[in-house]
Amino acid sequence: MTVNELSVECSFDAVCVPDGEREISGAYIGDLLSWVMGRANAGNVWITIMSNVNVIAVASLADVACVILAEGVSLDDELIKTATKKGVNVLKSDLPAFETAMKLSGKVL
Amino acid sequence: MKELSLNILDVAENSVKAGAELTQIIIDETDEALVLKIIDNGCGMSEDVVRSVIDPFYTTRTTRKVGLGVPLLKLAAEQTGGSFSINSKSSAEYPIEHGTKVEARFCKNHIDFTPLGDVISSITTLIQGHPDTDFLFSHTLSGKVCAELDTREIRKALDGVPLCEYEVIKWIEEYLKEQYAENK
Repeated sequence: MTVNELSVECSFDAVCVPDGEREISGAYIGDLLSWVMGRANAGNVWITIMSNVNVIAVASLADVACVILAEGVSLDDELIKTATKKGVNVLKSDLPAFETAMKLSGKVL
Repeated sequence: MKELSLNILDVAENSVKAGAELTQIIIDETDEALVLKIIDNGCGMSEDVVRSVIDPFYTTRTTRKVGLGVPLLKLAAEQTGGSFSINSKSSAEYPIEHGTKVEARFCKNHIDFTPLGDVISSITTLIQGHPDTDFLFSHTLSGKVCAELDTREIRKALDGVPLCEYEVIKWIEEYLKEQYAENK
């Protein structure tokens, strides 16, 4: 499944999707950035409630397929610009992390 | 990072890389606040570079495109309602007195405050990894010293024995542990 397909199928709004055809495999949930950095795998969907510039950096470093911001969190314009420039896909969900993950169930593994 | 001691390790490594002869790691705690200072006499940075180290997409390494030591320390401090600053004098502009000072202030009572963690192991790791540079460590609580260490003094006493020798590192570890136990 690609990021674009996930966005449509789960109705996660696109915050910025510079690489929508990126294939997804698996998911990781976490908010402690240094922890996520060492544990999220390339191609994962990463669900978090954090929304500062370091999120974009960690997403880029861990090479995740996309970030899903849970709980209705969003990025400001400056961060959207940075994410776009760095090729980091970001979607958002109004649901808490657990319910967001439930919507991925059976789709991204 | 789950512990501030890991942030300390990360940021102090930058000091060593900047060619510091002496890196000071100073922790001053009160009941409400923890102030961490990492001060080195390395090559320092220009104003532009200082701005860019706060940016997580900046790194001096070429193997990856982002460096996160400083941004994560800044985030950890600001998450507690604290503050972060970095001041630097580059050796190009200040040939005699140059270096970098990183200061992070944490509000200890904030729920997102990360515990200090195993700072002894951070200090011994630094000394073991860089036995030829000096470290000064000081940890105070409400003005009272909990633990302190100056590798310049140890170096003098050891008279040529490398600081990275297993026995020396073990001794430093025990020495710091004893001080913490006594000054609890």
